[in-house]
Amino acid sequence: MEKIIEIEHLNKSYGDIHAVNDLSFCVKKGEFFSFLGVNGAGKSTTISMICGQLEKDSGKITICGMDCETHIEEISRKIGVVFQNSALDAPLSVKDNLKSRAALYGICGKDFENRLAELAELLDFSNLLSRPFGKLSGGQKRRIDIARALIHNPEILILDEPTTGLDPQTRKNLWDVIGQLRKEKQMTVFLTTHYMEETADADYIVILDSGKIVAEGTPLQLKNTYAGDYITLYGADEKDIAKLGYPYEKIRDAVCISVPDTKAATGLIVTHPELFSDYEIIKGKMDDVFLAVTGKKLGGGGDR
Amino acid sequence: MKTLFAFIRRNVKLFFKDKGMFFTSLITPLILLVLYATFLSNVYKDSFASALPDGFTIPDTLLNGAVASQMISALLAVCCVTIAFCANLLMIGDKASGSIRDFTVSPVRKSVMALGYYVSSAVTTLTVTFTALVLCFIYLAFQGWYLTFADVLLVVLDVLLLTLFGTALSSCINFFLFTNGQASAVGTIVSAGYGFLCGAYMPISSFPESLQNVLKYLPGTYGTSLLRNHMMQGVFAEMESIGFPAEVMVGIKDGIDCNLYFGETAVSMTMMGVIMAGSILLFTGIFVAFNMFIKQKGK
Repeated sequence: MEKIIEIEHLNKSYGDIHAVNDLSFCVKKGEFFSFLGVNGAGKSTTISMICGQLEKDSGKITICGMDCETHIEEISRKIGVVFQNSALDAPLSVKDNLKSRAALYGICGKDFENRLAELAELLDFSNLLSRPFGKLSGGQKRRIDIARALIHNPEILILDEPTTGLDPQTRKNLWDVIGQLRKEKQMTVFLTTHYMEETADADYIVILDSGKIVAEGTPLQLKNTYAGDYITLYGADEKDIAKLGYPYEKIRDAVCISVPDTKAATGLIVTHPELFSDYEIIKGKMDDVFLAVTGKKLGGGGDR
Repeated sequence: MKTLFAFIRRNVKLFFKDKGMFFTSLITPLILLVLYATFLSNVYKDSFASALPDGFTIPDTLLNGAVASQMISALLAVCCVTIAFCANLLMIGDKASGSIRDFTVSPVRKSVMALGYYVSSAVTTLTVTFTALVLCFIYLAFQGWYLTFADVLLVVLDVLLLTLFGTALSSCINFFLFTNGQASAVGTIVSAGYGFLCGAYMPISSFPESLQNVLKYLPGTYGTSLLRNHMMQGVFAEMESIGFPAEVMVGIKDGIDCNLYFGETAVSMTMMGVIMAGSILLFTGIFVAFNMFIKQKGK
């Protein structure tokens, strides 16, 4: 697959603080890329440099084959950004907001009306067009933020912690919309988040800590490398489980055994078939991966 | 061009949607007019009458017209600049709220954004200053109207020049402000100080000579004098027609800054207009250059 974002040896410091430290990674076209880290890990600083909002100290950023330093105007037509906090004007109506933003890309008149109609249908906000943006609910605002980011039909959608502060239902709705966009438009999605569960469907994940990449890979690769498996065993005697030699935890109707990997789980089942009559094997969670690679815990997100 | 107009339209809409900001700006000149008329009108009249040589009398309507013209020229000179600072709060608000990121991630050029902020601030300030001008003309009509149609047009032009000057000056200063608190502090300083610096509250001729020499390097001084000259031309013509001697007229004009001297040279009204136009171009250019060449946090 074609590389749409390439970051090479990127550095950015604020005084003594090395916010981004020799960062290198790439995002492939059409991929759902997830950038994971605690607050202050360097996620937003990297995004700001990608969007041309912040000057880098050194390194190279290439987007759609163009150098960010010399082609920022062309690059800004290729990316749409959903900021963590909305940047739209609260007193203006939804339509006025989108109209003023579309004009920044030279989209006016009939072209704007057509694009607005498309987005209103896609994101289901036709009934909100005349309402002041500031009076909308959190979920409605987020839909309009996405519409603003998509107003110029970008190739890359950058979502900077888009679900922070939203309730679980609104978060789910938002992810449904983004999923639909990816499916229908094959759009590249670049997500920064500190909600682990939001990365579960990602094609590729980069985990950042103190401005450095500490782990990267697909969710499966990361789980296999950094997290063990869990066997939940129903109806077994705790004394028999203790003899297996693996750490375990007693839960309400079962015992949960931690094993290093799926191979070890299979070995246990084969060796002690009499114990494993009713059980399930679950891969480790992204929280375990994060804890293993950074030694830090992240804020959990709701299931989606 | 479409982008620039859309950006201006967005800024102007936002200004008028903020009812608090709009009405505060609008009632500021009205409050100043009431304060001037209530507290300073009699002081100005006594001062004017006592400055006349013995044996001279001046009709009440002419005296009232002269005092009112002097007062409203001062009021408008101050309002054009202080209201521009208020209208320009939108630019700071965009930085404070983070809205500016939405523009800086787009392909719109920084020079276009700078012009957009400048023109929208000028439009909103002009809306308020022209409303103030109409109120001042109504007040003048009750006190003593001596303006010709040409004088009215020149006064309108002066208000336009002063507003554009105030907008350019406030744009340059506000460029370095990032929070509403900073904007409020600067607004307070400007409101309190600008009237003295431009010779609106007190004639510059009444200041110590060293201070006068400094103030004559500030373009606002010439804007105030230009507006005062045009506002009082009819009054001066009437005074001359009823027999005021030339030396008395020179004394009056010197005393209220209608005549300004740079060194020994009298500054003509044409030169005052040129100084104002040049200052507008200079400060607007500086503001656009700031936007193009100075990287700011969050921009």
